[in-house]
Amino acid sequence: MIRLLNRQGVSVFAVVSAMLFCCNSTQASSTSEWTAPDQEAAKEFAALPVELIVNIKDESPYERSLRLLDQGLSIKDMPSHYFLLDSPIIKKQEDRYGPVRFMHAKHARLVRDCAVCHHYRPEDPAVKEINRCSACHQDAFDPRVVDRTGLKAAYHLQCMECHREMAKGPLSCTGCHDKKIPDHVKLIKLVDKPEPSQVTEECLRCHENQGRDMLKTAHWLWRGPSTHTVGRSKEIEIGKGTIAFNNY
Amino acid sequence: MKLNRRNFFKLAGVAGAGALATGAKTAEAWESKAPKDPFGCLVDLSRCVGCRKCEQGCNEVNKLLPPERPFVDMLLLNEKRRPDANSYTVVNRYFTGKSDEQDHLLPTYVKIQCMHCQDPACVSACLVGALTKKESGAVHYDVSKCIGCRYCMVACPFEIPAYEYFDPLTPRVRKCTFCFERIEKEGGVPACAAICPVEAITFGKRSSLLDQARTRMKKDPARYIDHIYGEHEVGGTSWLYLSDVEFNKVDFQDLPSEPIPKLPETIQHSLFSYLWSPIALFGVLSVVMANAKSKKNKEDES
Ligand code: SF4
Ligand code: SF4
Ligand code: SF4
Repeated sequence: MIRLLNRQGVSVFAVVSAMLFCCNSTQASSTSEWTAPDQEAAKEFAALPVELIVNIKDESPYERSLRLLDQGLSIKDMPSHYFLLDSPIIKKQEDRYGPVRFMHAKHARLVRDCAVCHHYRPEDPAVKEINRCSACHQDAFDPRVVDRTGLKAAYHLQCMECHREMAKGPLSCTGCHDKKIPDHVKLIKLVDKPEPSQVTEECLRCHENQGRDMLKTAHWLWRGPSTHTVGRSKEIEIGKGTIAFNNY
Repeated sequence: MKLNRRNFFKLAGVAGAGALATGAKTAEAWESKAPKDPFGCLVDLSRCVGCRKCEQGCNEVNKLLPPERPFVDMLLLNEKRRPDANSYTVVNRYFTGKSDEQDHLLPTYVKIQCMHCQDPACVSACLVGALTKKESGAVHYDVSKCIGCRYCMVACPFEIPAYEYFDPLTPRVRKCTFCFERIEKEGGVPACAAICPVEAITFGKRSSLLDQARTRMKKDPARYIDHIYGEHEVGGTSWLYLSDVEFNKVDFQDLPSEPIPKLPETIQHSLFSYLWSPIALFGVLSVVMANAKSKKNKEDES
């Protein structure tokens, strides 16, 4: 790998990390102060334990839609506009991605039929008509409810199938989730007081492709007119791409 | 006929059997040693989204080497892969002609690993009992017993066991373990089934999985083809498959419902109950090799 990128390549990462460092520090100071006003409540709601509804009423989606209509239940009765899909049930098994911020109201307005997602009701008539997903979908492979998917699969099947059918909405992991970046302190293996080039080499150990990409960007080439800055463009003649003094 | 290692062993086996059939005493009646209530997994191909998370989970839990290309690299799906010494499970992508309303071709993804056969051919082929079928359903490999003969690799109808050819000193046979250490604990689930985002892999008792598969087919008959792969194939397997496309379009073989060991176990017993048999075997092998060689020479000449 190092051979591939030659000495030039090795210095790429110094630049990238320097840039990332600047971005991070400015971002942190500007964004950390703001959180959505309803975020705390959403977190609490997501963590609430829910009792499993074992028996459900056996009816077709059509029957269910009609019955909701009869009862006058519609999206106007929606109790919450926003949910954080961050259930401890899912995190028990796997916890690799950040929670999904789910715009309940937005989805409801698009679909207009509660029964599309809230597809069954409990058998017990005393229990309320519409329940949260985790009331029925909890642990995967629960022997009490063998024909039912766990919460994680229920979300993914419901969201992804609909997104695909409607050709709308994300299908990739990071379309909905934040990526949980692993703690790099544990991953990085460096000697004491490393040379700058050793640091870059260590980055490239995992981020080989990113290193190659970097070599093609203006950040690396650092020459020619700057783009998209009409009237303010500068011709750069000296820099990483031409004469460089910190190429490591 | 192309004579690679695999074919060679097969030929040799058949020839050996033929040579001995006359000499052997009447074989004892074959009896299935399948566990009564094993665990299993039901893989629903119509659910799999091809994310390769199962490969990643498997790699981590079994402490396999980090892959050459990261698990998020979906370009790997352009090639057909097989499980190997460093990956107990792989996901392949097929385009079978299935399409959506806009006529876009839809892929079918197939996760493959050891099927954990109820009466495994690999177990009966193993001379030293390094492979065993456990009560939990897992077909377990014990490296301390293995002598490296690789008969299991030849015997397996699914071509699953792989060998660490790169390791000159302590090579091992490698295959999916069914995460036996996990599933034998209360509430334990195989790593691939736990990580799968869509529950394309359902874990449970094999009997319950068969019921679940039938329920899914009954609830949504248009979605599935009417076949649970592994229910009867080679006498039944612990891993079962449900699909929305014909199985032979996604590289599943048509296999008999007879357990494979029903044949070779008799062959082996008769083989090794006679002192002279190894010598006979080598005799047969050399004849086969010579034949194959001269045949190949002829082919080359023509
Ligand atoms: S699939 Fe092959 S390796 Fe796995 S149990 Fe069956 S015969 Fe053995
Ligand atoms: S059962 Fe375990 S060993 Fe087998 S494929 Fe799944 S994760 Fe890998
Ligand atoms: S993790 Fe599940 S959905 Fe993803 S490739 Fe494996 S079986 Fe398919």
